[in-house]
Amino acid sequence: MIRTQFALLRREFWEHRAILVVPVVVAVLITLTSLTGQVSINELDLIDIGIAGATNMPENAREAALSVLMIGLSSSFIFAMWILTIFYTLDSLYAERKDRSILFWRSIPVTDFDTVLSKLLTATVAIPLVTFAIIVATHILVLLNISIWIEFRGGSPWHLIWASVPFLDNWAATLVLLLALPLWLSPFIGWFLFVSAFTKRSPLLTAALPIYILPLLEKMLFDSTVLVETFFERSVQMPLFAGIDNMELLFQEGEDFANLAGTKLNLLSLMDLGSFIGNPQLWIGIVVCGIFSAAAIYVRRFRDES
Amino acid sequence: MTSLVSARNVSKNFGSFRAVDDVSFDIEKGRIMGLIGPNGAGKTTLLKAVLGLTDCQGSLSVLGLDPFRQRKELMKNICFIADVAVLPRWIKVSQLLDFLQSVHPNFSRERAEELLAQTHIKKTSKVRELSKGMVTQLHLSIITAIDAKLLVLDEPTIGLDIIFRKEFYGNLLSDYFDEERTIIITTHQVEEIENLLTDVMFINDGRIVLDSPMDELSDRYVELMAGPDSAEQARQFKPIYERDVFGKKVMTFEGVAREQLKGLGDLRTPDIADLFVAKVKGEAA
Repeated sequence: MIRTQFALLRREFWEHRAILVVPVVVAVLITLTSLTGQVSINELDLIDIGIAGATNMPENAREAALSVLMIGLSSSFIFAMWILTIFYTLDSLYAERKDRSILFWRSIPVTDFDTVLSKLLTATVAIPLVTFAIIVATHILVLLNISIWIEFRGGSPWHLIWASVPFLDNWAATLVLLLALPLWLSPFIGWFLFVSAFTKRSPLLTAALPIYILPLLEKMLFDSTVLVETFFERSVQMPLFAGIDNMELLFQEGEDFANLAGTKLNLLSLMDLGSFIGNPQLWIGIVVCGIFSAAAIYVRRFRDES
Repeated sequence: MTSLVSARNVSKNFGSFRAVDDVSFDIEKGRIMGLIGPNGAGKTTLLKAVLGLTDCQGSLSVLGLDPFRQRKELMKNICFIADVAVLPRWIKVSQLLDFLQSVHPNFSRERAEELLAQTHIKKTSKVRELSKGMVTQLHLSIITAIDAKLLVLDEPTIGLDIIFRKEFYGNLLSDYFDEERTIIITTHQVEEIENLLTDVMFINDGRIVLDSPMDELSDRYVELMAGPDSAEQARQFKPIYERDVFGKKVMTFEGVAREQLKGLGDLRTPDIADLFVAKVKGEAA
């Protein structure tokens, strides 16, 4: 079972190269941008001011500023990851039907349950873990890149960067966020898998239309907005950050941010994992995802393609 | 003798359309069964039921298992090629071998590599880079490397040129088939597999029209080519089917001794294609 699942997961990476390519492209873009950013700052002769400013900054503020920089970088990856997850799940059970290779996959002693499970695990665990590894690598690359410039301009990268970056806190928080996000958004993931299993054409359109049309119908027929609120809240308000809107969090200025958290910034302590796990909305979402996944298994098993 | 495949009153409906209609048959171990029928006769549906890809009414047992409910167990001992083009196009040959090695308990990688070494297929190639013939070779190599009890081939050589088709069946016999293994095969190119088969089953409109070992066909069926003068005399023996060839009458008889027809014209055992037409059209008449 575990051996089979491992082989199936590896298969997903072979088929869907985008799982690696997308975050790597984001990483390359960010690293290149950070390079050119340094160059332009240098031309304006701002870097010396920056170094001077940073050197005089209190330790806590410098830590907070660096952490915010890292969060900013991570947020691009998280955005890309969600887009990737949408396209991956929509394609995962559709491509094999389109090229008819489903007949080959079903000639192998692997159940439909195992197959659909492997796609679900890819979307909720494998993609976030890959993204996490590449985020860590990008953080290190960008910080190295900044360090070289600081060194070049006579500052102390050790003092300004490496001694100040709250690596563990930042990475642990990033990992928690990366793993929590797919769980929170799992009803969408389940829906996309289901669409991917049944639709005859254009999975993206088939998946997106009900999300737009159902709330419209609801408004027209019942003059209520339950659906639109459900969808919207699910999209933007993850109850992982106690009392803080997570979207706002990403746009906080470094100093405000430090003030927000008191004297020392601690991202992990901003997260309330207990109330996230205890939130009934999370579990309702997971159950919805389970129902859609079961429906996807059912369709793959019972539909006759001929 | 226990049957490898045993079907009793198997039916399958698609809405109001009855694709397989109350079919019963047995296939014994070590046989090569040809399943012959026109398009839409229910061949593929019947094979899908045998492979556990579709549910059906009636009782169907394959290797002693319920194919639909115990599909995973069944697939350890069954292989099938549903069509030539179904290997995933994005996969590399080496990845395919890796994958099968980790999920298929009866797959022998060594055997597959041996077989692939005899072809021009490179392990670094992707399936999409291979010609259609090579994809079939690859598929057959994989199948041959699986120690399965039953192999199901549904139109395995469609779209291949004649050299590949000959090679395909040659390899099937030399590398794959032995007394422990059983093959079910469907194809439109009946004449190519005629000499391979040990058994033949005709299916038309979802029903079995004929189910016989090949070596009994010559006892049961005879084809007479009669001139116009002897035709009327021959008709007394009630041919199941009659057609015209170059002004002569060709009649197919079932259960009529050759001695009785002697002197009325040339006698021969009908080939499968002719016999199929005779059975199907004869029944319709």
